Amino acid sequence: MKVELISVIGLLLCLLIIGIEYILHYRLAELQDETAARTENIRRRLDIHVEGVLYAPTEGSRNAEIKALADEINGDFTVYEMAVAAINEHKGTVYRDDEEARAALIERVNEQVDPVGIYAKMLNEGDVYHKGYACRRLADLGALDYRDKIKECAKEKDRDLAYNAAMALCSMGDVYEVADYLLSIQNDTQYSGRIVNEFFAKFTGDRQELAERIFDKCNPYMRCTVIKTIAVYKIDAFRPMYKDGATGNDTQLKIACVKALAAFGYPEDEQILQMAAKDKDWVVRSSAVRGLSLLKTKTALDSVKHALSDKEWWVRQTAAQSITRMNISPSDLEEILGGYDRFAADAMKNVLYKTVDT
Amino acid sequence: MGFLNAIRSFIVVFNYFCMAFTLLLSIIYIIQLFVSLVRVHRNYDKTFSDDFHSYVDSDNLLPISLIIPAYNEQEHIVQNIRSLLTINYPMFEIIVVNDGSTDRTGENVIEAFKMHKIETSIRYRIPTQKIEAVYYSKQYPNLLYVQKQNGGKSDALNAGINISRYPLFTCLDADSRIEKDALLRLSMEFIKDSRTVVAGGIVRIANGSKIVNGELKGFSMPKKLIERFQIVEYYRSFLMGRVFWSASNSLLIVSGAFGLFRKQTVIEVGGYKPNTIGEDMEIIVRIHRYMRKNHKKYRVKFNEFSVCWTQGPMSLNDIRSQRRRWQIGLMDTLISHAGMTFNPRYGFVGLVSMPYNWIFELFGALIEAIGYFLIPFTLIMGELNMFFFIIYFLLAVSLGVILSEGSLVLEQYTHRGAMSAKQSIAISVYAILENFGYRQLITLFRVEGILKYRKLRKTWGKIQRKEFEQ
Repeated sequence: MKVELISVIGLLLCLLIIGIEYILHYRLAELQDETAARTENIRRRLDIHVEGVLYAPTEGSRNAEIKALADEINGDFTVYEMAVAAINEHKGTVYRDDEEARAALIERVNEQVDPVGIYAKMLNEGDVYHKGYACRRLADLGALDYRDKIKECAKEKDRDLAYNAAMALCSMGDVYEVADYLLSIQNDTQYSGRIVNEFFAKFTGDRQELAERIFDKCNPYMRCTVIKTIAVYKIDAFRPMYKDGATGNDTQLKIACVKALAAFGYPEDEQILQMAAKDKDWVVRSSAVRGLSLLKTKTALDSVKHALSDKEWWVRQTAAQSITRMNISPSDLEEILGGYDRFAADAMKNVLYKTVDT
Repeated sequence: MGFLNAIRSFIVVFNYFCMAFTLLLSIIYIIQLFVSLVRVHRNYDKTFSDDFHSYVDSDNLLPISLIIPAYNEQEHIVQNIRSLLTINYPMFEIIVVNDGSTDRTGENVIEAFKMHKIETSIRYRIPTQKIEAVYYSKQYPNLLYVQKQNGGKSDALNAGINISRYPLFTCLDADSRIEKDALLRLSMEFIKDSRTVVAGGIVRIANGSKIVNGELKGFSMPKKLIERFQIVEYYRSFLMGRVFWSASNSLLIVSGAFGLFRKQTVIEVGGYKPNTIGEDMEIIVRIHRYMRKNHKKYRVKFNEFSVCWTQGPMSLNDIRSQRRRWQIGLMDTLISHAGMTFNPRYGFVGLVSMPYNWIFELFGALIEAIGYFLIPFTLIMGELNMFFFIIYFLLAVSLGVILSEGSLVLEQYTHRGAMSAKQSIAISVYAILENFGYRQLITLFRVEGILKYRKLRKTWGKIQRKEFEQ
């Protein structure tokens, strides 16, 4: 009887759970419908307001339309973002092609709506995800008054919040805080690589200063990562460091420095790149080949041609792609394609079939 | 008399064993449901500050090779390629591998995309059947068509890997459609965690849904009961099971219809195993085995927001063939990697995930099926209390409903706006109905798969699917 009693209790419990699930499911489904209907409604009204703002015949009527739009937004960040998107995407007005005029118009809307206030409230009251979002949006709006609050968030334990806050500081060009954040994650090699890449791309301040500050305190992994990342920015001040690294014994540093030197395409670096093209590491060789292809000298061309028969497939492919960018004569090309070196011919064919219309 | 008594005692004991087994499985499922609810809720919140669209022009984004193995897919292939060409991803290539089709698959692709034959060198890093020709189109520079000798799906995928250029690849079924942002969302798993070697997306049943260029344009309830049941079943399998196992980095299967792989890892483990019909599960188990054996840090992830739509079977015969095949694939993989089971060297995968699959996913079907016959038999024999039987039956059904209904709640979180509230509630009726007949039928198909393992382990079978609504 005991087992049966337990079973009945179990069954009742199950029914209770099912009931709760159904209520939750129904409520979520209902909320979803309400949200969809509300969004549709807002979108329709926003379209009318945005058109009113964009097509207003006089400045006075435009001001009135902006005021009406601000009333519609009523401190709701989702509605505000929908309105800005609608202004940016609207077709058929002078604002569409004139980015400056559009920005000025959005600025006028911002004066009425006070989005900084909306996001500041979110930063103070939201959960970690809302806070992170608010940091980014405040940075987009150039709300420098909230920099200190964002700095606090960048030091938070929650990784998402810290990342979003540091990204916001990046948009604000804050060298010290961004460098400190990057140094704080330098030991997490699974994570920091892409962050360095993203941060340097978004950074609005002096990239050289940021890199210098990181180089002062960073570990070898971070040094290599930063060098590879800033290669595209061709910062001359770091060339001596790149030269040292490219001729040193540390393979990882050599890979980074050769990549950075190759990006410059300076003839005076040819000798270093020629040496790197013979390195035992294929990544170094591949970077060197790419760098040599920018020089377009006879000796550089010879080295790239030589790399067409490299033992590593990727180096051969890089060489084949690079050679199409160099001034190679038709006879040289014929020689490669019809030559005894099958690797070189295959690599060239691979590239040529996709670049020349057959 | 003694012998009869022994049989009678055995049947009674087995009955109790069946009941205990069902209850234990249900408890495990409920734990899975609970963990999945917490994780999905957290992941949903996380998407708020996850600005994945900003990665479109980022250097961190990894280019992807989309491999489509095709064998006699003349009806779907062109439409599928056109749909893939519209996906929201900045750098990708599509490689269609024609695995020696005997219909017009090849001709249709070549004509539709104005392709021409090119000479190219191929690195056979994974051995495959001979590649006969490679076609390229100037008009669609990111599309390659590969003609090869027939060698099966795994062989076609391996050929696609050999010819691919990019560090990540995904294998897509010719009769599936991925949502516009699905690849971008899935690639985030690799960008945000460089240990990720595989990431799987959710596969949803497209029957009844209107999907245009990778976007869901409307949902209507599919006509057949069997299709409606599958909708609930897929939610349960993906949103409950995979979310749970990926949380403990012991997910053993990433759907063959939509998974993103780090190419280097797949090459290191030797590519897809030829002559197996459960290649999607086998490769994941092999990756686990290889990575753990070599003490490499890795992650096998599941992203419930990356959606791939697939047409579910529409007839009982097709669903029978599909489930039989899945069960054979499961059995084949478990047997191939039996050494991992209860082996502490493989951590959670060896100690929990593998035994779970052996006991509950493989033999569970067998025990459940025996129970279907034995329990009524025992009841007739008078060995089982009727009241107890009814309670047990209701309990088993209720637990099933809890799981299915829970998955529908999870669905509300992950794919808001896909169905109207009315439709969503209507679907939940099938979470109850599936327990009366459908579930039992599926169990029997799975048992058939086990019993016919030796005979059918190399047979794929063909499922009739209808065109996606455009």
